[in-house]
Amino acid sequence: MKKLTSPYTWGMVIDLDRCTGCGACVVACQAENNVAVCGKKEIAEGRNMHWLRIERFWVGEYPDVRVRFLPVLCQHCKDAPCEPVCPVYASYHNPDGLNGQVYNRCVGTRYCGNNCPYAVRVFNFYSHEWPPPLDNQLSPDITVRSRGVMEKCTFCVQRIRRAKEEAGGEGRMIRDGEVQPACAQTCPSEALVFGNLADPKSRVARLTRSPRSFKLLEDLGTHPSVTYLKGGGREHV
Amino acid sequence: MKRRTFLQLTGMITASAWLSGCRQGNERLIPYLVPPDEGVTPGRAEYYASSCRSCPAGCGILVRVSEGRAKKIEGNPLHPVNRGKLCARGQSALQELYHPDRVTRPLRRTGPRGSGKFTGISWEEGLSLLTSDLAGLLRHGTGDRLALITPELRGTLAELTAGFMRSFGSSRRLAFELLSPDWLSEANRRGYGLADLPWYDIAETRYLLSFGADFVESHLSPVQYGNAFGRMRQGRNTVRGHFTYVGGRMSLTGASADRWLPARPGSEGVLALGMARLILAESLFDRDALAANGVQAEQLLRRLDGYQLPRVAELTGLPRHVVAEVAREFAATRPSLAMAGESVAFQSNGRESVRAVQLLNLLAGNLNRPGGVYPSTGPVNGGAGSLAELLSLIGDMDSGRIRTALIYGNPVHSVPPSTGFRQALRKVPFIVSFSPILDDTALEADLVLPDHAALESWGDVVPLAGARREVVGLMQPVVAPLHDTRPFPEVLMAVARGLGGGPAAAFPYQSWPEMLKGSTARRMGLPADENFEGVWAGLLQRGGMFETGSGPTETYRPVFGPEPPQPAPPRFAGATGDYPLHLQVYPSTAFHDGRGAALPWLQQLPDPLTTVVWGSWVEINPRTAAGLGIRQGDLVEVTSPRGSLRVPAVIYPGIRPDMVAIPLGQGHRGMGRYAQGRGVNPLELVELLREGEEPLPAWNATRVRVTRVSGRGELVTAGHPEGSYRSDLVGI
Repeated sequence: MKKLTSPYTWGMVIDLDRCTGCGACVVACQAENNVAVCGKKEIAEGRNMHWLRIERFWVGEYPDVRVRFLPVLCQHCKDAPCEPVCPVYASYHNPDGLNGQVYNRCVGTRYCGNNCPYAVRVFNFYSHEWPPPLDNQLSPDITVRSRGVMEKCTFCVQRIRRAKEEAGGEGRMIRDGEVQPACAQTCPSEALVFGNLADPKSRVARLTRSPRSFKLLEDLGTHPSVTYLKGGGREHV
Repeated sequence: MKRRTFLQLTGMITASAWLSGCRQGNERLIPYLVPPDEGVTPGRAEYYASSCRSCPAGCGILVRVSEGRAKKIEGNPLHPVNRGKLCARGQSALQELYHPDRVTRPLRRTGPRGSGKFTGISWEEGLSLLTSDLAGLLRHGTGDRLALITPELRGTLAELTAGFMRSFGSSRRLAFELLSPDWLSEANRRGYGLADLPWYDIAETRYLLSFGADFVESHLSPVQYGNAFGRMRQGRNTVRGHFTYVGGRMSLTGASADRWLPARPGSEGVLALGMARLILAESLFDRDALAANGVQAEQLLRRLDGYQLPRVAELTGLPRHVVAEVAREFAATRPSLAMAGESVAFQSNGRESVRAVQLLNLLAGNLNRPGGVYPSTGPVNGGAGSLAELLSLIGDMDSGRIRTALIYGNPVHSVPPSTGFRQALRKVPFIVSFSPILDDTALEADLVLPDHAALESWGDVVPLAGARREVVGLMQPVVAPLHDTRPFPEVLMAVARGLGGGPAAAFPYQSWPEMLKGSTARRMGLPADENFEGVWAGLLQRGGMFETGSGPTETYRPVFGPEPPQPAPPRFAGATGDYPLHLQVYPSTAFHDGRGAALPWLQQLPDPLTTVVWGSWVEINPRTAAGLGIRQGDLVEVTSPRGSLRVPAVIYPGIRPDMVAIPLGQGHRGMGRYAQGRGVNPLELVELLREGEEPLPAWNATRVRVTRVSGRGELVTAGHPEGSYRSDLVGI
């Protein structure tokens, strides 16, 4: 049998010193991935479907108060707590290091969502509708998930596939920066950087070696593929 | 034929048949039952360059189109304003195109005004209704009783509307925007003799001092400055730019600051002058810059004698040592940059305060320097209407002098009711709206002639304060029109042609795209002949004309008179006793001034600082809220001398205890299913202040009181309601 290896290990760096918390990534992700529009009632129940959210922390008290933003998306862990608990192998690890989700395998046990320490998996508690002609916007590259299915950030796997096909057609590797998920492509302050961690010269790999780098909930040993860079300064907190 | 030739020929035929057999017969994965339209390949996306008009910044966009449908918008990497980046509002323009509640054909009002009862009519009928009305005006020689109200237009559309109104002999063409930065160009005119907008080199600065300029979410060009901010922080190897934010409310921009100075509302100008005095007194100013501009430091210092540190500290409510420290850092760290923004300008003394901030840039030598401030070049605004012009038009409408009003945009929602706009508009006998959706203005109209969505339109977009060299973005239709709508400029041209005479002569062009092409050719100094077709195609492919021309020629040279800026003590509507709290209204991150409220992606986007979705809220300092017995999510009543609104409360640690804030953008009576009846419009609370006879755009100079109504505010937040205090948990 052919061994499943890959020259790619996809990863992301999120520079919190650049991030302004503007929310462009959130909408870009929703637009790219056919993520359902959730009404007020659904969000009040804690059932928002955004794959990418921006956590906001207030630190201190007036007048010495500061805000910190933390964009949180699937961390694509190398030891992902969501994967071993799926009874039907809907959540799996692909050779590129992506934490995949096979929607048509999912039977909706929600074990994976329970086990995720970052709370980035979202479940379709309801059937969502796109009143016409709003459905014209739906991307043909991605399934529209039905009720009872768990879904999550894929690092825009459809874009990675397309780039691989194009690069493969020309008999080369994907170039650094050639493929970007929707969130990284739109980020006004370029806080999100995506690339191949297996290539030590890629921009993302160089940034992970920054002294400011840390991983989210590092002590859990999930070995995330997303590296955060600490916000510098803010010395007056 | 010889045997030899025969064999050669046979060989060649066999070889060529064999080679052609190597090609696959079916190159497409999906065979066609019905052949698709020309140029459409199933599963293969095309990208079209266009421009965003969701806000005046005018970023360049690339639209992914698959099977003839627009799927995704990206930033155009070639565009010098946004460099391939885009904000949440730009991403959402797709939903403007595919909104389920768009007006699909012309409508004529059948019920009373504002009832929303319309009946669909044909374009012929709609155009003849409008043409016959305007013909009546011309017949009686009363062309000046026609008014045209638009948002601020720049580029060819501004030329077209101006030409249209000129041909009627009407001067009642108003381009009004609540958040228009005309206060900034006015300050530049007085300070530098150049009535333009500045271009800030944020990326290269080392010390950024923002007086209420919210450049990340709304000020001038948010995507460009958001990008520059990222480079200022981490784009240089050894330098990390420092950022200090001044303002009573910590905005989204203020949230990224290293230091926050919550100055008392209306005292920002005093703070700037206090810093200027300290810089002069301690000789920290840039001697060369002052000498080059002919400014006497000693003289200026004497004139600023009233701004001693103790008095400044008392007026601003900030500690003395903090003011001094920031002033010294600002002057000692070069290049530094001071910016003034809306929350300062929209005070009663805003004009002088903005000039006081400019003085800081002069003292630190930040004019025309990398990391400082430059004049932005490019075509000037197509007639920005001031507040005075708006009020004069309202007066005319109120006295019945206006017979017909053509309205493009949604002024019923975005003009503060204290100007009397809504009542005056009701007295206009014939109102035509061009809104693509039944917004608050279209609901008041007698005739709705729906415009195309932005992604179906031709146009040119001149970015607001975009760059130092000329940038003109082009818009091209990326999909075929969905509904029976017509572009606003085409309608004006059709009406003019129908009228004949002067109006028809004003438009020598056959169509709007022809006119656009003609004005583009003129701008490039080329003849609009067949040779231009190739150039035009290239421009459309790139998305516009980027940084053409000889480059910047103008520089800022201060023309300060004998007197430095003197901000008067701020005035507020509402007595301190009855109305103890200052009200700040600010553009929402998602909806700007309200134009994005119809789009569900933006309604669902959690507000960055409060995480509220699908609604409005009022921000209250925790201490103030505790004193009033208000908790997160309670329904409260906010009362100003003008009226009151009921809105849920958000406990907001980043606001002065004597201040509350409500975002703009919600509170629409129409605008489709996602916006209708949602939240409140805080402009209903805002009082109009005047200085003598002159009206002031002092939208942040109203005082309010807040009382608790009940515990049921129906506030929905996407994040933890109180805001998490456990940032230590995740290690940031």
